[in-house]
Amino acid sequence: MTRTTLLDREVGRAMSALSAAAKKGIGDPGLAGLVMIRASQINHCAFCLDMHLRLAREGGESEDRIQLLNAWEEAEDLYDERERAALALTEAVTLLTDGFVPDEVYEMAAKHFDEAELAHLIGLITVINGWNRLMVSRRIPPGGYTP
Amino acid sequence: MTADENVRYAPEEPARLQWAKHAPEVYKAMIRLDAAARQGLDPKLYELVKIRSSQINHCAFCLDMHTKDALAAGETVERIVQLSAWQESKHFYTEKELAAIELTEAITVLTDGFVPDEVYAKATKHFDEAELAQLIAAITVINAWNRFGVTTRMTPGHYEAGQHK
Repeated sequence: MTRTTLLDREVGRAMSALSAAAKKGIGDPGLAGLVMIRASQINHCAFCLDMHLRLAREGGESEDRIQLLNAWEEAEDLYDERERAALALTEAVTLLTDGFVPDEVYEMAAKHFDEAELAHLIGLITVINGWNRLMVSRRIPPGGYTP
Repeated sequence: MTADENVRYAPEEPARLQWAKHAPEVYKAMIRLDAAARQGLDPKLYELVKIRSSQINHCAFCLDMHTKDALAAGETVERIVQLSAWQESKHFYTEKELAAIELTEAITVLTDGFVPDEVYAKATKHFDEAELAQLIAAITVINAWNRFGVTTRMTPGHYEAGQHK
């Protein structure tokens, strides 16, 4: 069945402001891109995957790092420790229903990110989870994003 | 917290991180988003949505806040208590509320797959398109608050009804 494409304009603007604020506080577009893709994989968001894969490629991300992100734990040479800490946190915060963001995951992230960076990283993981929900529930098809 | 003074409870743990202090512009954007998403929604229905999402995501702070807000808005204890078993206590809720609760579960547990057609279809029967768009936004927003609450382990028990309105 056809689903609504409606998104209240102020909701859209507030979501964009939230994304911008989180990204600015991290200041590492490459890392932010990996987080966006990984959450969208877990949440099965086709629109978001299409968009963030395009953006990552445009940003110069390597094809290997994009392709193997779904198995990053077994691809040790491709992602540094800071990125791995962020990816583990992304998975835990995305899969909240698996339970509470484990201490070891949180502590690993806190080792690589100072408090302000960590607060923004949590914000970024939260906002992509938000976009994933808005797109999957309305079944917005992939391919609609143009930079 | 209203607790028996003569009982020794487990100690209260501090939050992991004061995220709003360290990312004030993120917090501000969340407040703006929250205000935009709740437009046009029945506040009582929205509290049920927020409680159910917070139950699924296990957000203690959010449960503390939204059960208190719901009670202050005239919600009954019975409907709050039964909410996590709503499938067996449907007669506590209206069909419209049930459709919203079911949609809340599907959007909250995205990893179970894609917000099923039958859940979406049921929601369209009870909400017109604009209202449904707001409901989807509202479910998204409580999921966002849940993520901040759980990840930074915000401490429950100190919220007073209406404090964040």
